[in-house]
Amino acid sequence: MTATMTQPHPRPEGRPDSRPDIALRAPAATPRGTPASPYPIIDAIKRGETPTPRIHDSVHAESAILTVNNFQLWYGQTKALHGITMPIAKDKVTALIGPSGCGKSTLLRSVNRLNDLIEGVRVEGSIDLHGNSVYARGVDVIGLRKRLGMVFQKPNPFPMSIFENVVYALRIAGERNKKTLAEACEKALRQAALWDEVKDRLKASAMGLSGGQQQRLCIARAIVSEPEVLLLDEPCSALDPIATLRIEELIHEISSRYTVLIVTHNMQQAARVSDYTAFMYLGRLVEYGRTADLFQIPQLRETEDYVTGRFG
Amino acid sequence: MTTDVSAISAAALSPNASSGDARSQHRSFRLGDALLGLVCRGSAAIIALMLGALVLVLLTSAMPAIKQFGLGFLVSSEWRVNELERPVKDAAGHVVMEEGEVVMETIKPAFGALPVIYGTAVSSLIALVVAVPLSLGAALFLVRVAPTLRLAGPLSFLIEFLAAIPSLAYGIWGLFVLAPFLQSRVGPAIQATLENVPGLRWLFYETVTIAGKAVERPIPITGRDMLCGSLVLAIMILPIVTSVSRDVLKAVPRTQIEGTLALGATWWQSCVAMLRYGRSGLFGAVMLGLARAAGETMAITMVIGNNNQINPSPFAPAQTMASLLANEFAEASEGLHQASLLYVALVLLVMSLLFNIIARRLVVGRASPAGH
Amino acid sequence: MASARFETRRLTSDAMFVVCTACAIVIVTLLLLVSGYLVWIGAGAINLSFFRDIPTGDVANPGGMRHAIEGTVILLALAAAVGVPLGVAAGVYLSEYRHEWLFAGPLRFIADVLTGVPSIVVGILGYELFVVPVARWTSNSVSFSGYAGAAALAFIMIPIVARTTEEMLRLVPRTYREGSLALGASKAQTVLRVVLPSAFGSISTGIMLALARVAGETAPLLFTALGSRLLTRDPSEPFPSLTLQIYTYATGPYPEQKKLAWAGILVLLAILFVVNLLIRLVAARHASTRLGKS
Repeated sequence: MTATMTQPHPRPEGRPDSRPDIALRAPAATPRGTPASPYPIIDAIKRGETPTPRIHDSVHAESAILTVNNFQLWYGQTKALHGITMPIAKDKVTALIGPSGCGKSTLLRSVNRLNDLIEGVRVEGSIDLHGNSVYARGVDVIGLRKRLGMVFQKPNPFPMSIFENVVYALRIAGERNKKTLAEACEKALRQAALWDEVKDRLKASAMGLSGGQQQRLCIARAIVSEPEVLLLDEPCSALDPIATLRIEELIHEISSRYTVLIVTHNMQQAARVSDYTAFMYLGRLVEYGRTADLFQIPQLRETEDYVTGRFG
Repeated sequence: MTTDVSAISAAALSPNASSGDARSQHRSFRLGDALLGLVCRGSAAIIALMLGALVLVLLTSAMPAIKQFGLGFLVSSEWRVNELERPVKDAAGHVVMEEGEVVMETIKPAFGALPVIYGTAVSSLIALVVAVPLSLGAALFLVRVAPTLRLAGPLSFLIEFLAAIPSLAYGIWGLFVLAPFLQSRVGPAIQATLENVPGLRWLFYETVTIAGKAVERPIPITGRDMLCGSLVLAIMILPIVTSVSRDVLKAVPRTQIEGTLALGATWWQSCVAMLRYGRSGLFGAVMLGLARAAGETMAITMVIGNNNQINPSPFAPAQTMASLLANEFAEASEGLHQASLLYVALVLLVMSLLFNIIARRLVVGRASPAGH
Repeated sequence: MASARFETRRLTSDAMFVVCTACAIVIVTLLLLVSGYLVWIGAGAINLSFFRDIPTGDVANPGGMRHAIEGTVILLALAAAVGVPLGVAAGVYLSEYRHEWLFAGPLRFIADVLTGVPSIVVGILGYELFVVPVARWTSNSVSFSGYAGAAALAFIMIPIVARTTEEMLRLVPRTYREGSLALGASKAQTVLRVVLPSAFGSISTGIMLALARVAGETAPLLFTALGSRLLTRDPSEPFPSLTLQIYTYATGPYPEQKKLAWAGILVLLAILFVVNLLIRLVAARHASTRLGKS
């Protein structure tokens, strides 16, 4: 029975086997007439390989709060992250840059396990916070997220008052003391450089704020419970230049207190706000080092051309 | 080994809180999630149970009739609630006598749904024929003309409001306004015009068998007949068909219309293009109207005349499935009569569910990709 | 030649334009005629006694419909007490648990199917499920009751409320959920504190619509609540409802009772009009705040 099933079907005459087809297709598979690309690493990635990333020694000199260990992620059948390994320095600003689709936001959302919400997501490897994997079995995801503040691409204040927005994290943690809440609210709003603008209308709806104010409100909301790491997912992409500048100043100010991991598509922004920068491409880490080094003396031609806008 | 990691991780990840605190919070979150999940899943399950109960209860209660009549129920036109005694007749139609006595036979109650299926189908179809062209025209007006006249808002509100008017209100209007009007004006006028047209006599006369003889007699025009029922149904489904058609036409991409206009199409030609683009959605709107009409109870019960018969004349009283149920269910004795009514209810359910499912598939399946 | 053809085309187009306009005018006039007539006659029939008195039994002076108005309010309250929580919770399931294996999809379909069940069939189900068993239980011959009527109304409400809730929750931006979860909120906290409150306005609109819809239902009550001429507050008895009373009076032989039916219709229409107007206003305000956000 099995034998008959595995037996190949008789082929039509004139086509004894399929080898001629392959022979015909073969030339199309190789790049036709393209000169050798100046980017061997990019080419390797495009072929599906995962080259070893160039990680500067300066990165390893820092003490890491987060460590990404050979982290891989699939959306259904599509692999979005390929064996990312990188430490994130404590109390520093680390920027993730790269062309769209490079997986930088996916990596960021993997840290607080927000990708769990998306159907068909599968991960391998680990991301360690204080040396403990956030993907270990039995991890309290909710407790984890309390330790990691996040700010999204578009400002997403909840449709409630400014005050309630800021203290949301405390309320859900069960805090009922009005004085504690008020103090925490003021502190967070001051840190987010929003206090002076909204102190007279804390009860007003957060929807009435401008885009930049909303985003600062979201930052205040994220830092009210004093997270260890602040995850910023292109926080300025929906803002005008002036609002962007204010957010960048703010990131600079709070970076003394918090570890910040920021995704940005704006090279200048990465250069302005971050201490370390990681360049990613198609789900792989390419180069990772001190921001000043990466922008001025990158070790790879790919990085240099990307940060100067010649490629990508 | 794995359990080890998990045991420390919760505490280790939250160094600010004491580990006992973290634990109790952790548990209360889990409890909250579990509770919400339970409540939501439970409610969802109740919806499933509702449909299950509906089908199951109707099936089991209708079972005696289903067993007795089978599918023949759907094509039989007898509806005899009580046992009937009548003289036995021989082949020539004479009453059989035996020893000076008329021989009697007992005819068992019999039930068949054909008259009410006919009534439902015909009244719904006439309603559609009247309502659909009007609705489509009005929907085109609402989408293509009304916005430029700043009428779209008020007209839409009006139509939505009218769609919400209970059928009872339409029934009362039909009973007290439309039926008398049909009886005193429209019916006689039509009769005067068409009575002598050859081939249309069936409109105004019916043939009945009285005492073994076929007698032709005029159908009394009461105003409470198939025509009145159909017209009331038509008026009732106008708002819903109009508003769904409007939504479908609204969802036709602007580029479609602009494209045809750029090619030099006239206003009407671009309307035709629009109708063609939205045709499956529009068909869905029609099916929705059909489902409404077929399941409609109160209005039709008040104006259709409630006579369980098949008569091709629109001036004859008729009966629909829903009106039969409304009229007889309360008085039906338990047993075959009630079971037969439940059989009718089951047929009605299946029919209107089919219409609804088709309608939803067409409207939703079309509107959502076009909606963006 | 070509221009002549164009001319015919234009004439057709103009003619169809007129036809479409005429269709709209006919529909609007027809419906205004119907509702206007109902309002006109109803307005002539309504008076204080309608709201104050209960049926007298005297056909020449039949009293009012206070019992029926109260009955409808109680029936609606009972139906809402069951139908709203169940419907909203099921709606939350359909929206927030929609990725759950093989249950959410079919369930949405079932809810859709249930909204299309003819109301007379719901009435019959109510009779078979609540009237017959209770009669057997209490060994009464009949056990029509307000509870059975309310259950039938709830049966109609639940799928409507569930689907509206789902649709409204789906309009809540995903970023709200992510924002809340990223702050360490549990799923229950996210749903109860952020998602449901942000859709509160539109969900309550949907609930009002569902209530308005069942307020006008008669057929489901025919074999469940049955109707009553008494001012009763005990829902385990046969129970009065505005629609049932209107139906009884309208199809009965007495002119004074028919007048009451007209007045009853007017009251129903007035309630529906107010509800629809409110909903429209709420929706308009909602739309403007939504726009103000971006």
